[in-house]
Amino acid sequence: MRVYFADAKRYLERQGQEQPTLMRTMRILEIPQLQARPLPRPLLRQPVAVLAILWLTGVIVGAAVIPYLAPEGPQAMDLSRAMLPPGRGGLLGTDFMGRDIFVRLLWGGRLTLWMGIRALALAVGLGLPLGLAAGSLGGRVDAIVMRLIDAWLAFPSLLLALTVLAILGRGLSSVAIAVGLAAAAPYARIVRATAREIRAQPYIEAAIAVGASPLRIALRHILPNAAPALATFAAIQLGWVLLHGAGLNYMGLGAPPGTPEWGAMLAEGRDYLRAAPWVAAVPGLALTFTVLAANILGDRLGRE
Amino acid sequence: MRRLLLFLLLAAALATGCTPRSEGRIVYGLTLNPTGIDPHINASSELGIPLTSVYDTLVYQDPQTGGFVPGLAERWEVSADGQVYTFYLRRGVKFHDGTPFNAEAVRFNLERITNPDLASQKARFMLGPFERAEVVDEYTIRIVMSEPYAPLLDSLSQVYLAMASPAAIQKWGLEYQLHQTGTGPFIFAEFVPGDHLTLRPNPDYAWGPRVYQHKTAQLAEIEFRFFTDAATRAPALESGEADVMGEVPPLDAVRLQKNPNFRIQPVPIPGLSLVYFMNVTRPPLDDLRVRQALIYGTDRQVIVSTVFQGTSPVACGPLTAVTFGYDPAVCQFYPYDPSRAATLLEEAGWKDTDGDGIRDRNGQPLTLDLYLMGWGYLPDIVQLMASQWAQLGINVNMQKVTYPEALQIAKDGTHHLLPFSSSGTDPHILRTFFYSQARFNWSKVNDPELDGWLDEAARLFDRNQRAALYSRIQNRIMEQALVIPIRDYVNLNGVNNRVQGLRFDAQGWFPWLIDVTVQQ
Repeated sequence: MRVYFADAKRYLERQGQEQPTLMRTMRILEIPQLQARPLPRPLLRQPVAVLAILWLTGVIVGAAVIPYLAPEGPQAMDLSRAMLPPGRGGLLGTDFMGRDIFVRLLWGGRLTLWMGIRALALAVGLGLPLGLAAGSLGGRVDAIVMRLIDAWLAFPSLLLALTVLAILGRGLSSVAIAVGLAAAAPYARIVRATAREIRAQPYIEAAIAVGASPLRIALRHILPNAAPALATFAAIQLGWVLLHGAGLNYMGLGAPPGTPEWGAMLAEGRDYLRAAPWVAAVPGLALTFTVLAANILGDRLGRE
Repeated sequence: MRRLLLFLLLAAALATGCTPRSEGRIVYGLTLNPTGIDPHINASSELGIPLTSVYDTLVYQDPQTGGFVPGLAERWEVSADGQVYTFYLRRGVKFHDGTPFNAEAVRFNLERITNPDLASQKARFMLGPFERAEVVDEYTIRIVMSEPYAPLLDSLSQVYLAMASPAAIQKWGLEYQLHQTGTGPFIFAEFVPGDHLTLRPNPDYAWGPRVYQHKTAQLAEIEFRFFTDAATRAPALESGEADVMGEVPPLDAVRLQKNPNFRIQPVPIPGLSLVYFMNVTRPPLDDLRVRQALIYGTDRQVIVSTVFQGTSPVACGPLTAVTFGYDPAVCQFYPYDPSRAATLLEEAGWKDTDGDGIRDRNGQPLTLDLYLMGWGYLPDIVQLMASQWAQLGINVNMQKVTYPEALQIAKDGTHHLLPFSSSGTDPHILRTFFYSQARFNWSKVNDPELDGWLDEAARLFDRNQRAALYSRIQNRIMEQALVIPIRDYVNLNGVNNRVQGLRFDAQGWFPWLIDVTVQQ
């Protein structure tokens, strides 16, 4: 660090700047942690973050309680109540088969969230060990793992997901696997970058000096220090997997017809866009808000 | 009232302009984006919409009478044994490239279609037991069949067996589909695959069949555009982006009908109604009672009124009501009767012993593998079917598949239920689906008696005898509960009211564009 400051000072002097101030020096070095920025407010005092948390909590609670609220399930039809707008047709209206959209939305939340969680678990489960190994071991392991990740990333994520679906067949679990696999590579890359950064710290050098094994260094020193950054990125990844999972369902590659998964509901409602716009709008907005909430939360967590 | 108005308009048009003139242009919306549009090779119904007006056929079918009228053939004779057809061709007909139409051109076309190298998907099969074509003299051609084949005239009246210019086919080779050359009222002017196809009038046209009302094309240009996404069709009409649109979604059609600027022209399509084939070889559907229970347990009226807003009739049997030989007696089979369905299932041993709401037998739940494709509102239809069957204690595994996947499933026989629908004016279409060796025998039926009837019906030339035999065939199909008929196909054409004179041929799919006029 001191060497860098010296370099920057020398550089500024050569440029003819007489008094290299600390701020100016830092700007040249682009040290982000030290750049002047107001301290973030606590998460719970930011209205946007609170809204995001409230929305996600609402979705999770709704998904948890809906089997008790509507035990007849998301398929209960009443054809005499088809395509009623919000109000006359319950809180969010009914679809063309007279099914209550609010009930379907909450049942669908179960499917959509469960799909997202499974996909995220797969992405983290694959990306974390790979990235950690590459970042903390370095050398040949790093080279091999990163070339693998590069090849993986070379496929457009949607194409990769479609390929996986073609092999596994259709279904919500296949969608979760397909999206999870597509999300694993970028996650591994972030883990590796974070791990490498931490590995350069003097305390890791110290740990190596006292004879700690690479595994111990990775798990006891690098992982705990990397955890906040990784959690942040996982929250943002959650938004990504939800969106792409719903996208695959929208294309009809996932759930069978009538499943209240949000992407599938959106696709179904599209045919009735003129006659009953709420059928498509409700799941579409729910998806948008959920992805937005996950992204906001990830972003705000990252600033902490 | 509308018909009277149309007649008056027509009379006015005839009175004012006797000299042939073409003016105005329209945009015609197609619903599929076919991968190939050579009618001799490809099977898509969509290709025939523009190409019916690019080509002429030897004969034409009158949609009113179902009889055949002269086209490129002035008259024809059929030998006593029904195996030799002699066609006397019209003289002075020229292809769009200026080459003459004659018996040699007919022979060339038929040999092109029957050449296995062409891998024809539809035209070849429509020719049935075709053996050879002989040129008798310049304007006489003889078609020899290896056995009597009654549907030949019907086949020859369709665009798939249209007469193309041999010179153009030889000139363009594999690229012919981009440069199609016929004798019809419109010239194939431009085709940019996936974007548009443009037709312009053929000024020399003077040999139209009498089913056409005009001698030459009335429009100066027709541009076909593709609207594969059903949700975009009505908005395209309303914004003026298109003047005619096929297959408008039922809900949009109901709305458009209330708009004074547009009309819906529903055209019932003859052929195989939308049916779910039941695989009779796979338990539990090997039991006739279970198959019958499924039909009794399906409230088709509700399906038609919910999904199609009542724009399509409920199908009673394998043929739609407008198909030649359709027997209305099949409507007596299987009215909606859930209690009858439940009784039949009980008799077959399917009872809900464990109280989970699903019937079972010997510990096996009553679960059916149902497949569907993305077209024809099947995703909506199957949801209603599944909910109706759930009340009977039948569990359904639904899976959406692509057409090639469906073909593979049908081949392997791993389905219980698989849907299809197809168009064709001749009831011979049933042979494609219910003959034991047929490619599309998705019920996996193997009934030697049915096979015999299907063979015999193709050899009969007397219309009454044929109809009687096809009636027996339809009744057998329904007695055996080989299919669950859902609805008769009706093409809902959305039309801007400035477009007049739009009529469709006997197939229901193909417009006679020569007569279309437009008000500015």
